[in-house]
Amino acid sequence: MTDANIHLLKICSDWILFVLCIVLVPPLCLGLIRKTKARLQNRVGPPLFQPLLDLLKLCKKGETISSTMSGTFRLSTVVVLATMLVLAWMTPWLSFKPWSPNADLFLIVYLFALARVFTLLGALDSGSAFGAFGASREVTLGLLVEPALLLGLVALGLFSGSSDLRLIFAYSHFQYLGATAVPGIWLLVGISILLSSLVELSRMPVDDPTTHLELTMVHEAMILEASGRNLAFIEFAHALRMSILFGLAAQCFVHAAAAVWCMSALTEGLLSIGGICVIAISVGVLESLSVKLQWRKVPEFVAYVVSMSLLAAFVAAGTGVARL
Amino acid sequence: MNAPVIFLESVVFLMLAALAAFVLCQKKDVSDKALSFLLCAIAAGAMAALCLTWNQQFLFETPAPFLLGVFPLTFRLDGLSRLFLMLLSLILFSTGLFSPGYLKHLKEKISGGQYWLSFLLFSLSMFGVVLSADAITFIVMWEVMSLSSVALVASDHTHHLVQKSALIYLGATRIASGLLCGGFLWMHSLCGSWNFADWNFASPQAIFPALLILLGFCIKAGVWPFHIWLPYAHPAAPATVSALMSGFMIKIPIYGLIRILVQGGLYAPEITNFAFVLGAISAFWGVLFALVQNDLKRLLAYSSIENIGLILLALAISLKAKAANLPVVADIAMTAALFHCFNHGLVKSLLFLSVGAVDCQAHSRDLHKLGGLAKKMPWTMACFFLGSFSICSIPPLNGFASKWLIYQSLFKSTLMYGSYLERGISLATICLLSAVGALAIATFVKAMGVGFLGMSRSHSAEHAEEASIGMKASQSLLVVLCVGLGVFASSALKIISQLAVMSPDLTSGTAIDFPLPIPMLTGLLITTCLAIYVIFLQSSKVKIFKTWDCGFGPLSAKTQASSDSFAQPLARIFRPFLRYETNSTIKGRDRRHFPEEIAVEVKIVSILEQRIYLPSLAMISYLAKGMAKLQAGSIHLYLLYVCSTLVILLLLGTVL
Repeated sequence: MTDANIHLLKICSDWILFVLCIVLVPPLCLGLIRKTKARLQNRVGPPLFQPLLDLLKLCKKGETISSTMSGTFRLSTVVVLATMLVLAWMTPWLSFKPWSPNADLFLIVYLFALARVFTLLGALDSGSAFGAFGASREVTLGLLVEPALLLGLVALGLFSGSSDLRLIFAYSHFQYLGATAVPGIWLLVGISILLSSLVELSRMPVDDPTTHLELTMVHEAMILEASGRNLAFIEFAHALRMSILFGLAAQCFVHAAAAVWCMSALTEGLLSIGGICVIAISVGVLESLSVKLQWRKVPEFVAYVVSMSLLAAFVAAGTGVARL
Repeated sequence: MNAPVIFLESVVFLMLAALAAFVLCQKKDVSDKALSFLLCAIAAGAMAALCLTWNQQFLFETPAPFLLGVFPLTFRLDGLSRLFLMLLSLILFSTGLFSPGYLKHLKEKISGGQYWLSFLLFSLSMFGVVLSADAITFIVMWEVMSLSSVALVASDHTHHLVQKSALIYLGATRIASGLLCGGFLWMHSLCGSWNFADWNFASPQAIFPALLILLGFCIKAGVWPFHIWLPYAHPAAPATVSALMSGFMIKIPIYGLIRILVQGGLYAPEITNFAFVLGAISAFWGVLFALVQNDLKRLLAYSSIENIGLILLALAISLKAKAANLPVVADIAMTAALFHCFNHGLVKSLLFLSVGAVDCQAHSRDLHKLGGLAKKMPWTMACFFLGSFSICSIPPLNGFASKWLIYQSLFKSTLMYGSYLERGISLATICLLSAVGALAIATFVKAMGVGFLGMSRSHSAEHAEEASIGMKASQSLLVVLCVGLGVFASSALKIISQLAVMSPDLTSGTAIDFPLPIPMLTGLLITTCLAIYVIFLQSSKVKIFKTWDCGFGPLSAKTQASSDSFAQPLARIFRPFLRYETNSTIKGRDRRHFPEEIAVEVKIVSILEQRIYLPSLAMISYLAKGMAKLQAGSIHLYLLYVCSTLVILLLLGTVL
């Protein structure tokens, strides 16, 4: 085989692997969380890929929409799913990824906002109070968590000197290992992204997605009116958002490790999927051990996340001097 | 054809148009269509003149008989004024398209002649302000603009609220003009010239006139804490006027700041830091109060305060970076300020016009009385939604492009500044901006969701019909511009930096890098959406049924979340800033189970107004009453005053 052929083969295999990950990792995340919770409660629990089977089953079912709804509702599902797919392509949440365009961190954060706006509009379209209150809370969580996520990414950007996530997550930071703060910043940002993703995805300790509907106030309330394929898509988009955010956090941890140990591309690839799985399992453990916070206490929880990001950003801004 | 000829021709054309308009306005029964057509023609003519003279710039002095006292009126057209005039022409054109349909429902309330006269005067004076090259011409045009806009705010002057708003606005314009006159006179005594080009703010004595000018412009722009006139004036005026005021008039102070202070070489850190703080606070304060408004126009007015704050912030970043010798950051921030001015102008006019269409068709702007317009006015809804996305800086719309530049300038300054303090400030500002962005999303999702989706909350909203074709066309024109500027932001930025280079001392001319693949992303998003819809959703079996109602029977519109309840969780978090009071009364014999009367009242108290403005007004009128005792109406007393003044003066003369 010539070099060109090998190159082509590599690109093809990258794409195939990547598409497989987009399809399989989100349901796997959900499955892992469920399984962990079940095991901790001494149950056997559903098989790992049950969420995928659920989604496939939902796709076969018919759809009921409210007579109050305008086209916005179905449009919102489509836009949210499309945005999430585009985000999955652009964001470096896995270490092996086919070519993607400039993934500016501000663009990424605002694409997440695009998906959020459409979810909110879909929730408000039915005219039911459930959806609207879910939306109202989602918007509150969004306000609290957006500065944390953005600052965390900015901290990374500062010490790589670019706002392009491709360059930030490029495993190319060996040349400035002189700054001892490097693994520290990666760790801090990883934790802050992980914690803010818990808020962003409205999981424990902010909101419990598996309880009775009256107690589950955010995402499940917003998608109450969705059914059939619509529901399958919006659930899948939510799971994809979860794996992107967990993936970003896992990448931060892997980078923190890579700053200390040199590793091969294969190890990095395995670690990036393994990291997501470990995060999903630990989220499952967290959900079994902790209780849901009172709604009024949520801002305090988020304050920790924001201060974590701020700390990382200030450290990054400080160490940048030595490098420039 | 050379530029001065085209300029003269367009001036003559404008004069003729104005003359025709004034003649038309004198008639009892004014034809809205004719005057709107005239407005569109003026706007199109101005646009054509601007485009024909693209690469030229020139100074123009009025010849001998058209002097102002002994001074000629001087005008200058360069890159900066061209950019602002293009925005003005676009907004004027779309308001012209919008007017005939919209003014129909105001027919009984406002007098057409007075409205059109003030409107044309207002539009022409704005051309004048932007073109003026010296302080005298500027202040004359500025005064015509201010007073004609007061007349427009007072169009529907039979309402008590409108009267109050017009008076507050008038007071604000007077104070602003007073401060500006003071600053201009001071600068004249320092530099010995009325010409803006001769003014130099680099000297340390120029700090005080610069401060006066900054304050004057801040009042007119509605920057915190001088913003209180804005949420009164915008809702009171007809939608076309609010579109022009919010879209363009409040950008004129920004233009003035750039023209006078920035091009005058201001770098005093006191002034730039002051502007920076004011900008940051306005951005946050504006959006926070926008969140809790129920009147759509008031909400938009507060959101204008936010955006003016962002623009001022970008200007301040640029000035600071220039002083710190970081030309890259300075250029990005300046371009961001200019681009955000342009974008916000288009988007805010679009939003005001959409709300005008809603007001016209559903007879209310109160979110408690709207809802369910999605099926009645889909076109207006689509335009309002796209405008809202843009103002929330959602990619790929134009609001995102300029917001990205502001972020980028802050990011770059965090990287490049030497001092840790400056880096920390830039980081904190990034944090603040993202919170402001999230609050803007909350605000506009509320406006979109409660205003247009769900069930109709009133009879008139239920029977609303789609707006007339002219109204739809004008909104669509602005939407196309917003989307176009967003998707092709890199080309737009090239044009803006080209224009900025044509003006002296604005940017150092480094190319602004806009590396985001927005056109590709837009294409990809649209294709993916279409693919998902066509492949999966189109074929799914859909049953239409009532909203899930927990088995209690059909829902009433009142069971939906109201605008207050939607904003409540956020308003709670910001209790220190928002004095948010809820009073609920439940009455009846067995009030737990069968209440006979339920009333909930939510009140937002504006702290600035209650704590600072009203007390200081009260103090001024108290002092004025004390002063009034001096004027007792008795000739003896007055003779005593004259005599004692004389004695004091003589004494002073001997002592000194």
